[in-house]
Amino acid sequence: MCGIAALFAYKDGAPPVRREELEAINERMRPRGPDAGGAWISDDGRVGLAARRLAIIDLSPEGDQPLTDTSGDLVIVFNGEIYNHRELRARLERSGARFHSSSDTEVLLQLYRAHGADMVELLRGMFAFCIWDKRTERMFVARDPYGIKPLYLADDGSMIRIASTVKALLAGGGISRTRDAAGIAGFFLTGTVPEPFTMFESVRAVEAGTSFFIDASGRGPARPHYSIANVFLRGCAQHAFVGLVPPAMQLREFVSESLTYHLVSDVPVGAFLSAGIDSSGLVALANHVSRGGPLRTVTLSFDVFHGHERDESNTAERFAREMHSKHTTRMVTREEFESDLPRFFDAMDQPTIDGVNTWFVSKATAEQGLKVAISGVGGDELFGSYPSFASVPRMVHGMTLARKVPGGMPAARAALRMLKSPKAPGIARFGSTWSGAYLVQRGLYMPWELHEVMPRDTAEEGLKRLGFLERAEMALQPNPSSDFGRVATLEAVFYMRNQLLRDTDWASMAHSLEVRTPLVDGWLLRQLAPLLTNEGSASKQYFADSPKPPLPEYVRNRPKTGFVVPLIDWAQLEPDGTGTRMRSWAKRVLENFG
Amino acid sequence: MKVLLLTTDIYGGYGGIALYNRDFAAAVASHPDCDELVVVPRLIPNTPEEIPPKVRFVAEAARNNAAYFRAVGALRREKFDLVFCGHVNLLPVARMMVERPALLIYGIEAWKPLRDRVRNRLARNACAVISISDVTLTRFLAWSSYGGRTFILPNAIHLEEYAIGPRDPALVARYGLEGKRVLLTVGRIVAAERYKGFDEVIEVLPDLPKDVVYLVAGGGNDLSRLKKKAADLGLADRVIFTGLFPDSEKPALYNLADVYVMPSRGEGFGFVLLEALACGVPAIGSRHDGGREALRGGQLGVLVDPASCADLRLAINELLARGGRQIPPGLAYFSFDNFRARVHTIINELRK
Repeated sequence: MCGIAALFAYKDGAPPVRREELEAINERMRPRGPDAGGAWISDDGRVGLAARRLAIIDLSPEGDQPLTDTSGDLVIVFNGEIYNHRELRARLERSGARFHSSSDTEVLLQLYRAHGADMVELLRGMFAFCIWDKRTERMFVARDPYGIKPLYLADDGSMIRIASTVKALLAGGGISRTRDAAGIAGFFLTGTVPEPFTMFESVRAVEAGTSFFIDASGRGPARPHYSIANVFLRGCAQHAFVGLVPPAMQLREFVSESLTYHLVSDVPVGAFLSAGIDSSGLVALANHVSRGGPLRTVTLSFDVFHGHERDESNTAERFAREMHSKHTTRMVTREEFESDLPRFFDAMDQPTIDGVNTWFVSKATAEQGLKVAISGVGGDELFGSYPSFASVPRMVHGMTLARKVPGGMPAARAALRMLKSPKAPGIARFGSTWSGAYLVQRGLYMPWELHEVMPRDTAEEGLKRLGFLERAEMALQPNPSSDFGRVATLEAVFYMRNQLLRDTDWASMAHSLEVRTPLVDGWLLRQLAPLLTNEGSASKQYFADSPKPPLPEYVRNRPKTGFVVPLIDWAQLEPDGTGTRMRSWAKRVLENFG
Repeated sequence: MKVLLLTTDIYGGYGGIALYNRDFAAAVASHPDCDELVVVPRLIPNTPEEIPPKVRFVAEAARNNAAYFRAVGALRREKFDLVFCGHVNLLPVARMMVERPALLIYGIEAWKPLRDRVRNRLARNACAVISISDVTLTRFLAWSSYGGRTFILPNAIHLEEYAIGPRDPALVARYGLEGKRVLLTVGRIVAAERYKGFDEVIEVLPDLPKDVVYLVAGGGNDLSRLKKKAADLGLADRVIFTGLFPDSEKPALYNLADVYVMPSRGEGFGFVLLEALACGVPAIGSRHDGGREALRGGQLGVLVDPASCADLRLAINELLARGGRQIPPGLAYFSFDNFRARVHTIINELRK
């Protein structure tokens, strides 16, 4: 886990890379990698690579970056973890490769040498990396399937700048800070900035699940190496395999396998433990596969929730006792929240209405001396436990029917007028398409409300360039062929990627903590897709059955709350027509976003 | 020591389980303390092979269910020191002989609860479970809550029956393989067993070099679907189906191959992988079924995710590029000598 940067003056006559800019970018990412830092500039000054390192695999200096291979032809900066690096190493060795360190970074170099761009297909992990190939004078850039690890790019026509965070790119001083109307509109529309947009016109996210080359003519076309929609499509065609093994057993086997990979580390690994099924299931399964004994667990507790059902700490403590985990309940107070807010907003790489919970649980985990923690994030997307898995198909099928039946739409509009939600008109307007229904379900503001929070013409321009509905329809290509697959794809590509994973990254990295997500794993999804499309949201209960013994009733039957933070009270949010007052919080976030 | 083995098929049987049972019987009979092994088969589809010394083969049991019950009933007058039940479906019959037989399990038949509660209870009650692989044992233990003794007994490979050899010109001509690099899968092609990975290999073929063809060796009721699939993908000339072939042609078939490939999901072990390796053919197996153990976690071949076309394609390209054929030294782990030693250890443990 690191922060990485790359500068490539690709165009003939472009000014060379400035070391000061490279180092300024790198320095802004110091919390992401406090253990070591380094920079490399090519002899001709056209290419610069830099990295901050949080040492987790191969703690020796041989794992420091930028890393050059023995021939001197390839140089890499890499952020993330390659969980299957040991088996890839063994396979490469059988083909004649020789290694000089035990780091996964060197495996990437050798794999690139052996397979070229195809190498990304073999990687199991979270990753974003750049490889400078001196032989061809090209830079190879890749990002993991789900977008767990961030990567941003700015291209001014002669130089491409790449870094793990938007704020690091800005810190280099080489790019424009003009705000992007599409980014702002996207933030108010969804509560986060949808990729590839950022808050700045000059910066774009590198698309998750893609790779590309940069050469003298600039950035080449992105080549997809993973499609969530396609995995669900194939899952539908593979129903024949579902019956071979009982569902709970499949989940146990495949999630345990994922955990085994995600526990690969040369430092101790902890776990975030809420009182929910996902994190509890992971902790229970990890007990069977962890070589270092039960994971150390951390739960947050908020003084204002004391005695309320939202207080997760009692349930989590009881469960941790049964798992024989060394457990920490960390109390967070309003004073601490207020005191942390300036640092919180400073670390926030893109505006988001979430992230407070991850900020504090990461802080609490780092306080325990841990550098790595397992999180159950992604479980709701995987097992279909969000309300969207029921409401979005209901909306689409209902509105499609209403459009077909004579008099159906007027009746539907009349019924919707009776709903108090500000989103109700959106159901009639957008609800008959998957992208539209998803926007209504997940939207913070509806498109026609944006003029309340930004100038009308800026909102219109932003919405047009954002093209949310078109991008959502694109995400559903190829057609996942099942209602579950469609919603799961949209949740993974939008909510999880743009909000959960991004927030997890910056909020944990601010505390120099690496968060690993065994339920967000492209290899796991491929195995489970037939089961998930067959069983739908019932999968969650099968997951609860998967540990031995199965999760206890007091965990399974607890009302779903997630990691809830008492924001309304602490941030003194004004009523905004929503139960969560997240619209008020969004405005506060944008005011404070540096 | 007198031993009883109740089996589905063994001598005269076709396929992996019959072969495994023949090896098992030979190993049991070779135990120094074994005076007699009585083998009761449910099926004898072909002419039985030569019956080894000390083995009494109750062939008349294979006529029908009633004959099987009669044969087992007759054996109740005899006293056995050990009773092996060679299939979960035979548990009720084994119960006629002994309260707690030792149960042999192979693959998908033991991966989920059995067809009725009686069998489930009898399975839980076995005095020992001998599994062909760890994956089968793990899956069996998960549903059965069996808590007794367990043993892993992987397939044996008779290395002396296989060798690296030149391509048989007659077979090359028959299948049109001149100048082609050949991927091979051997197995039954039946609709109920669409987990062998034939479909997956056909799907990656368009992304492989044009001189690479896929030889599908075996017969079954799913053959016409696979032929249509290949034709629909424009691969009619690159996917070659042998249909049923005589066992005697097997080593020659393996020697046609450049890479043996089986991205399966339902193999209890994957004996064919060992056969390919014994002919020096580099092998690709699945990381999600018994193939993982046949390839010893990747030491003897390349493991792939059967759900990933890219993983499969890269593995095939990697082995085609690596070239050369050799019998991996680690294959001796599965030699019959080692198999026999494992069986003797199991018998000694069971007699304690």
